[in-house]
Amino acid sequence: MSADASDLSLVRRVQRGERGAYDLLVLKYQHKVVKLVMRYLRNPADAEDVAQEAFVKAYRALPQFRGDSAFYTWLYRIAINTAKNALAARDRNPVSYELDLHNTDDSSDMVSRLKDPETPEGLALTEEIRDTVNHSIEELPEDLRTAIVLRELEGMSYEEIAASMDCPVGTVRSRIFRAREAIDRRLREVFDGGLGRTEELV
Amino acid sequence: MIQDEVESQLSAMFDGELPATECELLSRRIDRDENLRGRWSRYALIGAAMRSEPVATARSGFARRVSAALRGAEDSPRLKRGGKMLLSAALSATLVVAVAGLSISLLRDAAVDAGAGSLAQTRTGRGEAGAAVAVGGERDGAVPANAAAPGPSVAALRHGSNGEPVSYVTPVSMSKVNTALRTELADLIVAHSEYSTPLMRRNMLSALVSNEDGADNASPGASAGAPAKSPAGAFDASTAASSASR
Repeated sequence: MSADASDLSLVRRVQRGERGAYDLLVLKYQHKVVKLVMRYLRNPADAEDVAQEAFVKAYRALPQFRGDSAFYTWLYRIAINTAKNALAARDRNPVSYELDLHNTDDSSDMVSRLKDPETPEGLALTEEIRDTVNHSIEELPEDLRTAIVLRELEGMSYEEIAASMDCPVGTVRSRIFRAREAIDRRLREVFDGGLGRTEELV
Repeated sequence: MIQDEVESQLSAMFDGELPATECELLSRRIDRDENLRGRWSRYALIGAAMRSEPVATARSGFARRVSAALRGAEDSPRLKRGGKMLLSAALSATLVVAVAGLSISLLRDAAVDAGAGSLAQTRTGRGEAGAAVAVGGERDGAVPANAAAPGPSVAALRHGSNGEPVSYVTPVSMSKVNTALRTELADLIVAHSEYSTPLMRRNMLSALVSNEDGADNASPGASAGAPAKSPAGAFDASTAASSASR
């Protein structure tokens, strides 16, 4: 089952009245939606408020969601519209930057950092997450790495991965779980030992 | 070991590869297990990091706040709906009471009009309303027919040249008129019963019945009192009309 299909499964459960399933969708997409809204609102606290509003709107509109598009694509549009409305309501201009983007002396990475309205701490954390995940994947045994890459990057179902790796579906499930556990362990070490913000990921 | 199995299920559920029945049970567990919620959220973060998707870490308790906002959003329309229903019920009750009150008032007026009009009918067969002549009674003497006839509420008698009334007027039974109006009113109350409580309906019908009793008692009283006021046996129409209107 692809990521879209797994989202759709959660959506169907929400549509049947299981609100806990929506909680899982929020936990799953909160980081992406907050990041998306931050493009429009400078203040991270404002961005979270608008992201929250977007999730509430999406929940209310969920009975009309037919699954013609992926859930995240649909949620993405709601989040963008909510952010634009919030900007209009507050009579604020979208984030504008007075940077000379043609100045080749600045590295593109630096420009992108300055354009990002996220706090320096948030930026550091995001980067830390990416580095940790990538390093952890490199250190995984071959079978685990293949399984998690096929799942996360290729979006293959367990059955397809099993066929590809010539192993039972149960083995695929176990490999993916072990891969995630290994990465997550490293991630928690980084947060607990360094930035101490593991709880902020919940 | 059990925890490993639960976490393995969580990973499979994250990928949409867990059977629906197990999903339901695990969902309930996730709802009260912060550790599982954290894992679920980090699994999403791991996938996003692998795909180089832009992510920002939301502050602690973001999902809980969304959940609380959803509860608030669900409760608020429910309260609004409840308020609307109460308002609607109150309006309906007010409407029923107003209609019933109006009907009773009309019933009383109609009873008075019918009672007074019936006085114009004479036993001599000349009792058509148009033939009725207004008089002030023996004390006032004869008055031209059309001059002092303000309307059907004033009953009249024709007096002879010797001062004796040509005919005596007695009220006819008003039971037919009242019955028709009572029936209409009762029908009205029953027709609007969906907007009223059984107690309210009972009260309304009791009020109607007591009003009927009052009306029934008032009419005979007026007619019964007439002879006493008029020793000569002539019915004093003006007195009857004024007492009925009171």
